[in-house]
Amino acid sequence: MLDAVTIEIMWTRIVSIVDEAAKVIARTAFSTLSNDANDYACVLTDADGASLAQNTYGIPSFIATLPATVRHVLAEFGAASMQDGDIYMTNDPWLGTGHLPDVCLVKPLFHAGQLVAFAATTSHVPDIGGQVRSIAPREIYEEGLHIPPVLFLRGGMPDALLVKLIRLNVRTPDQTMGDVWAQVAALEVMEARLRQLMTDYALTSLSTLANEIYDRSERAMRTAIRTVPEGVYHYEMQTDGMAGAGMVSPFTLRVALTVKDGRIDADYTGTTAQQPCAINCPLTYTYAMTAYAVRCALLPDLPNNEGMFRPVGVHAPEKTLLNPIFPAAVGGRAATGHYVPVLVFGALHQALPGKVMAAPGSPLWNMTLIGEDQGRRYACVLFFNGGLGGRAASDGVSCLSWPSNISTTPVEVAERAAPVLIRYKRLTPGSGGDGTHRGGLGQEALVELRGAAGSSAFFMTERTSIAAPGLGGGDAGGLGAVIIDGVAADTRRPHHLQQGSTVLIRTPGGGGYGPVAARDPALRERDRAQDYVSVG
Amino acid sequence: MSIATHWLGIDIGGTFTDVVLYDTAGGTSVSLKVLTTPGDPQRAVLRAVREMLERAALPASAIGRVVHATTLFTNALIERRGAVTGLITTEGFRDTLEIGRERKYDLYDIAIENPAPLVPRALRQEVAERIGPDGDVIVPLDLADLRAKLRVLQDAGVASVAIMFLHSYADPTHEKMAARAIAEWAPGLPVTPSHEVAPEIREYDRASTTVASAYVKPLAARYLQSLSDELAAIGVTAPLLLMLSNGGLTHIGEVIRNPVQMLESGPAAGALAAAFFGARDDCSELLGFDMGGTTAKLSLVEGGEPLIAYGFEAGRQKRFMEGSGLPIRISTVELIEIGAGGGSIARADALGLLKVGPDSAGSEPGPVCYGQGGTQPTVTDANLLLGYLNPDFFAGGTIHIDVAQADAAMRMLAERLGLTRDQAASGIHTLVNETMAGAARVHIAEHGRDPRGYALLVTGGGGPVHGYGVAKRLGITRLICPPSPGVASAWGLLVAPARVDRVRTITFPVQTGDLAALEAAYVALERDASQVVADAGLGTAPLVQRLADGRYVGQGFALVVPLPPGPYDSDDSRAALTAAFEVEYRRKFARSPPDVTLEFIAARVAVRTPAHDGDLAGLAAEAGGAVKAHRPAWFAEAGGFVDTPVYDRTRMAAGDTFSGPALVEDPGSTLVIGPGGQCRVSQSGSILVELA
Repeated sequence: MLDAVTIEIMWTRIVSIVDEAAKVIARTAFSTLSNDANDYACVLTDADGASLAQNTYGIPSFIATLPATVRHVLAEFGAASMQDGDIYMTNDPWLGTGHLPDVCLVKPLFHAGQLVAFAATTSHVPDIGGQVRSIAPREIYEEGLHIPPVLFLRGGMPDALLVKLIRLNVRTPDQTMGDVWAQVAALEVMEARLRQLMTDYALTSLSTLANEIYDRSERAMRTAIRTVPEGVYHYEMQTDGMAGAGMVSPFTLRVALTVKDGRIDADYTGTTAQQPCAINCPLTYTYAMTAYAVRCALLPDLPNNEGMFRPVGVHAPEKTLLNPIFPAAVGGRAATGHYVPVLVFGALHQALPGKVMAAPGSPLWNMTLIGEDQGRRYACVLFFNGGLGGRAASDGVSCLSWPSNISTTPVEVAERAAPVLIRYKRLTPGSGGDGTHRGGLGQEALVELRGAAGSSAFFMTERTSIAAPGLGGGDAGGLGAVIIDGVAADTRRPHHLQQGSTVLIRTPGGGGYGPVAARDPALRERDRAQDYVSVG
Repeated sequence: MSIATHWLGIDIGGTFTDVVLYDTAGGTSVSLKVLTTPGDPQRAVLRAVREMLERAALPASAIGRVVHATTLFTNALIERRGAVTGLITTEGFRDTLEIGRERKYDLYDIAIENPAPLVPRALRQEVAERIGPDGDVIVPLDLADLRAKLRVLQDAGVASVAIMFLHSYADPTHEKMAARAIAEWAPGLPVTPSHEVAPEIREYDRASTTVASAYVKPLAARYLQSLSDELAAIGVTAPLLLMLSNGGLTHIGEVIRNPVQMLESGPAAGALAAAFFGARDDCSELLGFDMGGTTAKLSLVEGGEPLIAYGFEAGRQKRFMEGSGLPIRISTVELIEIGAGGGSIARADALGLLKVGPDSAGSEPGPVCYGQGGTQPTVTDANLLLGYLNPDFFAGGTIHIDVAQADAAMRMLAERLGLTRDQAASGIHTLVNETMAGAARVHIAEHGRDPRGYALLVTGGGGPVHGYGVAKRLGITRLICPPSPGVASAWGLLVAPARVDRVRTITFPVQTGDLAALEAAYVALERDASQVVADAGLGTAPLVQRLADGRYVGQGFALVVPLPPGPYDSDDSRAALTAAFEVEYRRKFARSPPDVTLEFIAARVAVRTPAHDGDLAGLAAEAGGAVKAHRPAWFAEAGGFVDTPVYDRTRMAAGDTFSGPALVEDPGSTLVIGPGGQCRVSQSGSILVELA
């Protein structure tokens, strides 16, 4: 029996353990994604693989994914076979985080001879082989090295064959393995700190503490869910889709959200079938994005743990965009998965107006430029974000990453990394959907190629033909566009750029929230004075 | 005319202005606390200085040095009370300031707002000009365009102008031309070009820093000039030295040139004080723990010096959320701020668990025990009920304490949590300790260190109360409580060295880069920084430290490392630079450097004069130690309340030893020592506690 103080103190300690481990990854990782974008996660689970805590600033993509990975490892290898000093590895998208670049490690933790917990980490490594970041792959075989759950360290000794295989199959062996070793260091920190905690409090097992955390969190989530009127809420959205053989356009994304008995269950039946390109979103990611939306709307301040998501269920039929099966290509899972919270908000709005926001101009956009300049090869990824949707009490923020959290590339950095001149990078007036609170503005950036040798350009874009919808009477946001040398470009295929070619990137604006007629005239006046709306 | 024998430290905070007068010959000091006068801050300063001189019966001419720290400029940023500022940017980039990094500081808050830009969109004007990353002029600066845009800003009534051109960190030609032209067309209008403030790559960070600097510049110039004049008017002719965020000292002109350098001057003084008091007992590795009414601050001292960071955030939108403020790229003492102080409110959360802070009862209404209308128990109420604080000697007896009210409020909270009153109170105390320890662990982990290698130095009203529990949780075995811990940080002003930092973005692959150009860059930075030290009258033979921001190609961040002294002129230099980086890399990451090309992306210099040349040994307390009372105090190790001796700090002498459990009272704070703590009063006047 633990009291309300002891639980809080131990839980505070456990959260600080995963946060400390996260700092270990942040300061040692090579990948700019790990560093700038917090594209990694650290989790402690109990001996059954239920999550006690996840690092505070971990991005939403990883909610509940690592504990699932732990349970897969546990099911496959069995607790009895596990030894002190073992570390398991996998990047299987269906068992891990939904795509290959996220390498997941799982370490069983022993205390006084007993298996008491698991530490698990994942981190987006700089390269995992396969094609360069694009949506072109038709099957996962083209996307890089696929590692099933395997023993990476046995009793502290690495599997030499596995290390050789990885090094041979990736473009940046030192950096990729460097990031894996950074994860090992984080696992060891979690192990040492957890043992100290158990010693300090004379614990032989974590189950009493874990159950207190889960049960209390579950009760809090159920209480929050009970504030939502019971019912089934439907929402449906069309998105750009894919042109090409065997593919459909536009896509339909559909949810039926059932709120009943303190549970929320999202059923994505009716969503478009899985596609032969890398925009399929494995169920683990679909779950993470659903849980993210529910937490944002109902319980934003509670740290992620197993209990709070017990009353949240997800169903999506197999072979659909939101539950593709092997060997689907999944590298660009976010292009589809980032729509999931928008769907959930669309449905929740009917029950809880005021607790959600209108559709943002997400998903994340990027342009990858690959080429040679004065004898030097470069591969430069530029990220761009659209505007947030309007909220019940305020306009959407302009140019903000959501639901992911990837910074833009500074212009001065981009111009050093690749032979480009960025002529402008500015807000797009009028791109926020009108409403009582309008959507945030998107941006436009004009990128001119200066290199004499030309360059290949790859894109990840969304909402170039179907805009971010408004909510509750708000208008849709402005469309995104990619215009190469004055001509609208098909971003689903690579483009060759000549010296002097210009690429205009225009990210989508957010949808508006609430009736247009109800907008405060003072806000309209401000928008005019600051040129946030188009003139004329 | 008497000889200048005294130094004066002035620290203006949001609520109080502290003034310390130090007798360099006798080694004694007196301090005075007065209420800050926000509209006219020099008024409080002058009043305090006059009063202090009168009490000490000293002529103003006895003051040989005046050192000043202030949060005025920080508050002007937070409260948006700076000048109406205009921004002139490269064509196509007026929105850089508003677009920012495009990242959320809070992942789950859909009502998230970015801090409003200090310059609204309509006051951000673009001019045709463009210089490439290698200094090539792509579009010449259009002076006619500049003149027209300046007129637009003048018509809108701007009182300060910032200039932010792309790649000006690499080639400031256009920014210089523009600044000169504006100075000619609009004499008297302050102009702040970005290359003078933060010559570093990344346009948003540079723009943010430059605009913040321009925004507070008129206020800084007005205030500092008038303070200097008025001090002179009452006969204080010693130079007015200002504390910088990195703990260095400089002169008025340098602060007016770039006032954001002073934003963290108050906390910097606190960190310097920690280093100073640690050194007096031969401790050079310290975790400074300063806990006040609403927040606590942690700082690290390594090798006797506070750790320096090369950027921070001002005016956070959400107080304790990293990423929610305005980025300011200057060198500053590295601090972690935690939202738990004496006034932090305890409550039961949605899960039925105990939570403390970040909401604070502040000074109005204050903790329940102040009897000013507070109803929710705070950390101070808990510490009172646990017997740590003396109701009859609160703030030296100046505040009346109502124990019964605190008791009733605590019982109500305990009932909600299903606990006894004592469990709730001890839970609050312990949870605060755990929160501090957790933040310290994560912070220390960022530096790749182990907390057990540090001594804990406690200051502020709350540091001595919670330090013992925090140290225990971190496995720290030595705690240091300096004399008068409640006002210790003002001492930092009197022990500060002069320090001027300069930085420039470079591109230097260590194996193949142009050594002559690198050497020239360092020499230029050193000349510039040394000039400022000389101008402040702080000496002409300063210590020069070269540093570089280095990284392995492909790594997303840079590590700032100290370098061997120059000149760099041979292949041996390349080897020495590489070795210097590798040593630091191993130290920080506990890992061999990878087999990847090393590059330097920024050159830095720190030019310093030696720290204080006065002897501050006179801090030791008066002799005649004694236990003045006993009272029950709660200790987990003892399983509850035990009768605990209470010592009067002012009557303890060097060499006194005693063991925990013990309470040591002085007018500003109480040092709490648990059972098993072995204490000794050092020659320095500090109490040293060894934890079992």
